[in-house]
Amino acid sequence: MVNEGPTEKKHVKALVIGAGPAGLCGAIATAESIGDGKQILVVDEGIVPGGQLPKQTHKFFGHEGFYASVRGFEIGEKLVSKATDLGVQFSMQTTVAGIYEDSIVTYDRNNNSVDEYTADYLLIATGASERFLVFRNNTLPGVYGAGAVQTLMNQYKVMPGESFLIVGAGNIGLIVAYQLLQAGANVKAIVEASSKIGGYMVHANKIMRLGVPIMLNHTIVSALGEERVQGAIVARVDEHFKPIPGTEKEFVVDTICLAVGLQPSVELVAQTGAEIKYISELGGYVPIRDENMKTTADNVYIAGDLSGIEEASTAMIEGYIAGYNIAQKITGQDLSEKISTMKDELIEFRKGPFASKVREGLKKMNILFPSGGYRERTQQSTGPNGKLRAVIECPQAIPCNPCETSCPTGAINVGKNINSIPYVDYDKCIGCGVCVMKCPGLAIFLLQEKEDYSIVGIPYEFLPIPENGTIVKLFDKDGRYVADGQIDKVSVNRKDKTHLVFLRVPKGMENIVRHFDLAINSEEYVCRCEEVSRQDVEKVIDSGITDYEEIRRILRIGMGPCGGKTCRNVVLQIIAEKTKIPISESKLGAFRPPVIPLPIDAIVKSRKGVDKDE
Amino acid sequence: MGRLVEHPILNVKVSGAAEHMVFYFEDQPIFALPSDTIASALIASGIDIFGFTEHEHARGFFCAIGKCSSCLVEVDGVPNVRACITPVREGISVRRQIGRGKPKW
Repeated sequence: MVNEGPTEKKHVKALVIGAGPAGLCGAIATAESIGDGKQILVVDEGIVPGGQLPKQTHKFFGHEGFYASVRGFEIGEKLVSKATDLGVQFSMQTTVAGIYEDSIVTYDRNNNSVDEYTADYLLIATGASERFLVFRNNTLPGVYGAGAVQTLMNQYKVMPGESFLIVGAGNIGLIVAYQLLQAGANVKAIVEASSKIGGYMVHANKIMRLGVPIMLNHTIVSALGEERVQGAIVARVDEHFKPIPGTEKEFVVDTICLAVGLQPSVELVAQTGAEIKYISELGGYVPIRDENMKTTADNVYIAGDLSGIEEASTAMIEGYIAGYNIAQKITGQDLSEKISTMKDELIEFRKGPFASKVREGLKKMNILFPSGGYRERTQQSTGPNGKLRAVIECPQAIPCNPCETSCPTGAINVGKNINSIPYVDYDKCIGCGVCVMKCPGLAIFLLQEKEDYSIVGIPYEFLPIPENGTIVKLFDKDGRYVADGQIDKVSVNRKDKTHLVFLRVPKGMENIVRHFDLAINSEEYVCRCEEVSRQDVEKVIDSGITDYEEIRRILRIGMGPCGGKTCRNVVLQIIAEKTKIPISESKLGAFRPPVIPLPIDAIVKSRKGVDKDE
Repeated sequence: MGRLVEHPILNVKVSGAAEHMVFYFEDQPIFALPSDTIASALIASGIDIFGFTEHEHARGFFCAIGKCSSCLVEVDGVPNVRACITPVREGISVRRQIGRGKPKW
């Protein structure tokens, strides 16, 4: 007797392993084509479907067809509800434990039960896992995968630490750094062993202007701490990526995020008998497959990071290609038109310079993708002086065009090849700021030169939302403090939370200022009693008032309980610095009684006493 | 370590205290939200050492998505439970796992 086991095998037409963007889109494509989602089962280990989308709080690149400018977690919600509406079945908290010749064995953690399945077609979209890095004390609690920190922080809203060191300046490292800052954490630095930033420059710019250093040619050599991370030692590396002795630097951090790449999760696909090959450009061992995402095993398809480390948009497209192919086999209908539309999308997404590794890797499977055909030169002109207008600082050819598609006046051109660097037609640009709020790279700014100052409009995704008129510190694109400025106004974007903050900056600084800091916690106080800052004092002096007595009357400086014992000399010092008149020659101001706060009733009581005696 | 109380993008508001639940970690009560995994609830309470290897090295989570098996804990006496992808349940008793844990038969 065969099959004497306690469970009866369940049969589905298509079994999808992995509920991330690739698996979901595969299930959607199959379900909508065969018209019966109930024949499709998606199995995933996670608690909620969506794969790694629920932890992505940033807006995605690409174009509208694949949710460009929509935040990752919202894309996940959309795909899940689309699949659910089509009747696709989900089995969450369920791990495919093994794929055998005659059945697929799943383990359902929730019910603590094992099931056996057979399926006509298999779509394996198991994604990838984070690469580990070998250094001293790398297993201490506090050394986490960058994706793990994202999961904790963005999905469960829990912070695993306060101050972070990030290892790796690819897109994941850069994105996590930005998201940590949004959550209020301190990011000490990003170290990157290679000599260049691997991720998109727009992602790097977002954190550099916030003052996070990216240390190229540096790696981590040791985590410090006994039972958990209390610090990290980093060192410069030579051309073979070996740490150079004597270049060590210590960071006091409580968490170290490893963002050193991903590796495809091939365990299950390998068990189908599909051929696996090491292709470093695709992230390591990957299944051999054709351009329809079919592996060398019968009826076994793949999609997403499992087929080569890339990103979520191409994972979705690959999912559709696999899903339509499976549907075509199930129903016998001709879906070649839909399939070729999706293949054209892939071609578009893979034309740019960042896809060169993927193109090289796929070439080793004889799958060819063309490159080029896009504009690489950035626009030199920043438009006519005096006009409120958009300036796009998007220096690399990345597949993305929401600036173009969101512009209400058609002033921004990317063109058919979405890898092209955008250009602004300044005759058409009306400075409305829609593109500033839409750009997933937060790389568009508004500029306007005025009579006495300039306006810079910047995209802002932090708290608190500043009040009009607030004095702020201004920073350049590298996070260096350059001047003080003022919040002119704020366009609050309640819908998708990228606000547009207009800053008043000193004239001539419109092309320099790219970030501001409310400086709420970093005020330098001069007068402790009345909370008067150095900036307050300097502003009054700058307005032409240099007399201590007058400054006192304006700012109440020295009029608090201490009577000026603490602040008078400091203020005189500032006056001296600003006016270049030595303290010895400036007016000291009066010393009025009482020199300490005196209780009124003490005075009154004493007065009464005097009366009595008389 | 702790829960986010505000966020510029995400809604981090927690509805009423009634929704909180309690479980036990090394016999100490830990407050959790229904949306928590064992790992997220522990991290929110400032606990990041989930166990020790057989060589007495401390271990916490590493990947948080169920792949690395670094976060194994004992739940109601059952070892090798991945804290990062196991939802919290009211009243469960969670312990630090030492080494491979002792399976219950």
